[in-house]
Amino acid sequence: MPSPLLPARPVEWLLAVAFIALYVVLDWASFMDPLFALNITPWNPDPAIGLVLWLRFGRRIALPWFLALVLSEIVVRQMPAGPVLTVVLAAQLTAGYGLTGEVLHRVFSKSTLVNSRERLFNWLTIVFAGLAVNGAAYVALLWLAGLVPPGAFVTASVRYIIGDIVGVVMSMPLLWMLVVASSRARLAAIVRSWETAAYVLLAACLVWGVFQGHIGTEQYKHLYFLFMPIVWAAARHGLAGTGLVAFTLQASIITVVRWGGADGIPFAELQLLGAALSLVGFFIGVIVDEQRQATEGLKQSLRLAAAGEMAAALAHELNQPMAALSAYGKACEHLIARGDNSPLLADTIGKMVREANRASQVVRRVREFFRTGAMHLEPGNAHDIIASVCAQFGDKCRAEAIALTMAAPPGLVLRVDRLQIELVLRNLLANAVDAVLETAPAGRRIHVGAVARKGQLEVVVQDSGKGVSRAMAGRLFQPFASGKSSGLGLGLVLSRQIVEAHGGSLWAEACGQGLFKFLLPMPGAEHDEMEAACVKHE
Amino acid sequence: MSKTHDNTELTVFLVDDDAAVRDALGLLLGIQGYRIALFANAEDFLKAWRPSWLGCLLIDIRMPGMDGLALQQRLKQDGCALPVIIITGHGDVDLARQAFRADAHDFLEKPLDEDKLVNAIEEAFVDVRELATASARRASAQARFPSLTPREREVMELVVAGRHNRDIAVLLDISARTVEVHKARLMDKLGVDNIADLVRMRLLADPE
Repeated sequence: MPSPLLPARPVEWLLAVAFIALYVVLDWASFMDPLFALNITPWNPDPAIGLVLWLRFGRRIALPWFLALVLSEIVVRQMPAGPVLTVVLAAQLTAGYGLTGEVLHRVFSKSTLVNSRERLFNWLTIVFAGLAVNGAAYVALLWLAGLVPPGAFVTASVRYIIGDIVGVVMSMPLLWMLVVASSRARLAAIVRSWETAAYVLLAACLVWGVFQGHIGTEQYKHLYFLFMPIVWAAARHGLAGTGLVAFTLQASIITVVRWGGADGIPFAELQLLGAALSLVGFFIGVIVDEQRQATEGLKQSLRLAAAGEMAAALAHELNQPMAALSAYGKACEHLIARGDNSPLLADTIGKMVREANRASQVVRRVREFFRTGAMHLEPGNAHDIIASVCAQFGDKCRAEAIALTMAAPPGLVLRVDRLQIELVLRNLLANAVDAVLETAPAGRRIHVGAVARKGQLEVVVQDSGKGVSRAMAGRLFQPFASGKSSGLGLGLVLSRQIVEAHGGSLWAEACGQGLFKFLLPMPGAEHDEMEAACVKHE
Repeated sequence: MSKTHDNTELTVFLVDDDAAVRDALGLLLGIQGYRIALFANAEDFLKAWRPSWLGCLLIDIRMPGMDGLALQQRLKQDGCALPVIIITGHGDVDLARQAFRADAHDFLEKPLDEDKLVNAIEEAFVDVRELATASARRASAQARFPSLTPREREVMELVVAGRHNRDIAVLLDISARTVEVHKARLMDKLGVDNIADLVRMRLLADPE
């Protein structure tokens, strides 16, 4: 069994060395505004790296961390506490950070992240408590050793704790996301968006502008401008975006303070402000993430439910041609056994081929259906699409004495996923047929109309059924709100999703009869004035 | 498998909304020598149905408008005695239960297995035939009873009730010899040659 306290593999040793180096460099970069020339600064980002690695590797990171702490004291501050005390202090800090890391390690598993309000709260509580205890212990040791003046214990410990907390709160989320594979992918996806570049740039520019006095008359008094990029990022990209902006803010503030000559600025206050900003962002971000997850969960269950609904419908639809096929097949067997080579045999075989085609069409429709996740936009003639769907209902309507009419302007080209839009039309027509079947055979009417209007195509499916009430019109589009005995009532929900994915809208109108309308955007508006040509569909 | 009886007087009534299924089953059963009547929906069948029809019903459970189970219920209410074979696309236990509770003769799954289908039809036909023979016998028995004299009828009732000749003689206040003469004559008129057949015919004609 590998020692739980030592890196396990060569690659981890390499990581440990890199960690130590980065730790020392960061300590050097953040060694600003120190108290009593000690490591008491208003900004301590290095523990963030340590904690993230602790989350990933557990106790094995303790030794490198201890070495890093000792090394930074030697390199950055030339050991103000002397060799012995330096080692003792480093050991104490390692233990304190380690304890915090261990608690985080237990509460958050390796692969999960702060992705809910509860987790965000847990993370903050652990970090605040752990760092507070650790900071107080550290300063108490310094105080006992006489390195901190007797009266400065509280000031020093508060300064140290705040420095740690600010560093961890502002840097840890981004580092954490970089360590976890799933969030790394999300981060990578976000970075490619132009919005990310925009809000990161805005954050950097605002920090620079505020400090240089370009924004407002006094330096740093207009830091509230920084809410803009952080809220933007949180609202658009959730926690991942916020992590990026928090890190950018932090980096910009440090750059400006350290190298931008922004002297005389109460750096500690600035850091607190930055941390508060980040916290606001994280809370918004986490809520945005939660909602997105909920939406995706709903979409997923909708798709599953739709698949279930489809499967039930298919069992019947596939069974019909199958039943016919097997019966024709058996009939042929008998004819052949009889030595009957009449035209009836050829005719029956022809019918078998037709039924086989019908079955394969059903199968193709399933494939189309499950493909609806990705849209394949292609130019499609509105008239043709409507006519082809109406034709599918032709037999049925004739058999049930339903007068099916359609009116669509010819030559009107849409950019749509034809299969998906056909699915929507099929859904609406099937509903309309069901609705009129409940009425007397005389006067059963269904009309499908399309009119170009203000750059949009308005498609109307109207039937002589009893229609929907105002209350029902809204509820129709909620899942499982079917008024029918069979099916899950997802047809309209899916239809609306499809139409909305095309940039259109679908709704039901409460009037004396059934009336559904949907709008689809048209690529060109040149057909605006086109008159609807009426074609009686047979 | 081919049918063993002459079914010329019996018809298979098929109610299915799918034109191809209707056509295919019609062809298959037609080749097998069955007389077929096809209906596209429950309403059409109800409109056409006559109580004199003999045969069996094949009903698809899932149809637009009135479905198969509803049709089965409706026919039962209307006093239609045709045995019903329910066909379904999916072997739903609940549907099968409902069908059998409404006295379905059989419950078959699509796609149909020819042997099972023919078996089901044949079994249904056996039932129909038995029912038909029984009712024919009843009709003939009922036709013969009026030829009995009132005295012969009295004797018959007592014989059927299990009385001995001597008891009957006492009850009717006639000689045992006369009872025997009446008995022989009434059995001759009804065309039965033993008491057991007489009892059966009597019960068939007028089951209490």
